[in-house]
Amino acid sequence: MEVDRADGRNPNQLRPLACSCSILHRAHGSASWSQGFRFIQTSHFYHFNLFVFTSKCYFCYWVGSGDTKVLAAVYGPKAGTKKNENPEKASIEVIWKPRTGQIGKPEKEYEIILKRTLQSICILTINPNTTTSVIIQVVHDDGALLPCAINAACAALVDAGIPMKHLAVAICCCSAESGYCILDPTKLEEQKMKGFAYLVFPNSILSVLPEGSSLVQGEPMEHGIITSVTHGAMSVDDYFHCLERGRAASAKLSDFLRRSLQSKLPGDLSKAE
Amino acid sequence: MEAKPSTANLVDKIVVPGDVVLDLSSMTNQTIKLGGGLRQECDSVSVIKAGKLRFSKPNKYWVESSQKRYVPCVEDTVLGIVVDCKADNFFVDIRGPTIAFLPVLAFEGGTRRNIPKFEIGSLLYVRVVKANPGMNPELSCTDASGKAAEFGLLKDGYMFETSTGLSRMLLSSPTCPVLEELGKQLSFEIAVGLNGRVWVNAESPSTVVLVSNAIMNSESLSAVQQKIMVDKLLQRIK
Repeated sequence: MEVDRADGRNPNQLRPLACSCSILHRAHGSASWSQGFRFIQTSHFYHFNLFVFTSKCYFCYWVGSGDTKVLAAVYGPKAGTKKNENPEKASIEVIWKPRTGQIGKPEKEYEIILKRTLQSICILTINPNTTTSVIIQVVHDDGALLPCAINAACAALVDAGIPMKHLAVAICCCSAESGYCILDPTKLEEQKMKGFAYLVFPNSILSVLPEGSSLVQGEPMEHGIITSVTHGAMSVDDYFHCLERGRAASAKLSDFLRRSLQSKLPGDLSKAE
Repeated sequence: MEAKPSTANLVDKIVVPGDVVLDLSSMTNQTIKLGGGLRQECDSVSVIKAGKLRFSKPNKYWVESSQKRYVPCVEDTVLGIVVDCKADNFFVDIRGPTIAFLPVLAFEGGTRRNIPKFEIGSLLYVRVVKANPGMNPELSCTDASGKAAEFGLLKDGYMFETSTGLSRMLLSSPTCPVLEELGKQLSFEIAVGLNGRVWVNAESPSTVVLVSNAIMNSESLSAVQQKIMVDKLLQRIK
């Protein structure tokens, strides 16, 4: 089914991703994750007709498609605070900082979803009685904000060296009236669609085990769902359709996450050779 | 039994949490030692921290990574700062999640009568003797046989903080290029803690500044780059 998107992407196409780790000096781990570019240098454009050239400036604006950018900082493991102290498990606290103003109900909800997601991927028993703070600063919001924050938080946790069972990749899927579904919507698309789902999957892993031995009830591990949040009305079929598309895209996302984590680590860390 | 070829593929590769690096069902009657960053799950060993998977003959596996945060581990030598003195313990900050305890008797020939006096803020070179989860780590100023062995108060000098990866590089043998090059031309004292603290002392303050800068700059440089960087710095002071 052909769908027109304002920025010329096809329904399964994600916005360009960018991730950089260790960008904050004081934090124990930090990462920025962005989906989409607000400005693209003229030398890099590929959808020529979609660009409006600004006068006297060598940048051009990608009409309709903004970027969603989130900064995540991790502090910890540090001594447990009174509030979240648990003698048997490490606790994770998430602080959401919106771009402007105070945090409201939706941000509180994001905090809780993010906290539960991170709790399920971290190994909490290794450093009991400690707190790890994750601070999420929204830099720019143009749709799919929570998935972007989950990806950023995950990269920041890895950067801080917090023990984790596996990584998580998050994606937003929208479903429209006519039954089609699009991935990684912009804010405009999110508002137009009748429903959308935030899906979080485990990353695809490298394994030395023989093929098929890591299947859980006949399915690979990365097909499991860590978190699923839906907004709006969505039929069961639409939901499964979104899930299928999301899974396909999550493989690409986890490849990207692995590559950006690998590039962060210097190759000459060891001088053994 | 030789490791499977697919296992060998992951050694010296960069791995991320969740990767399964060893299949124990194919390695029966073999003892292996797992270091930091690895975890056993039934018949497989998976990674919990991103870094480079290392293997040392005959049987040691670990993940090498660099963090800004230190997690105490038994037998690590660290640099700690005294934050409080109590009747039984000195409270020492070793950059870990919690304050570490240094018993007042954990010194060579330590008795109730000759308890050392440390001012708050003084820097100590100590050894971690207990690091159990859920407890504050315990330190000691003696080696395993009860000798003082260089442990104790570090007077004067300059202390700075780096990542755990850099401090491990400074302690590696053969001596890392940056220290070797500096040592050829300058004389200085250095104490490196695995918690990422480095203490430098020398006759003149300018040497201390030069050595500290050279070490801090060497974080992401290769061996050759480190030599060039040190040469440039040394030329500047001549």
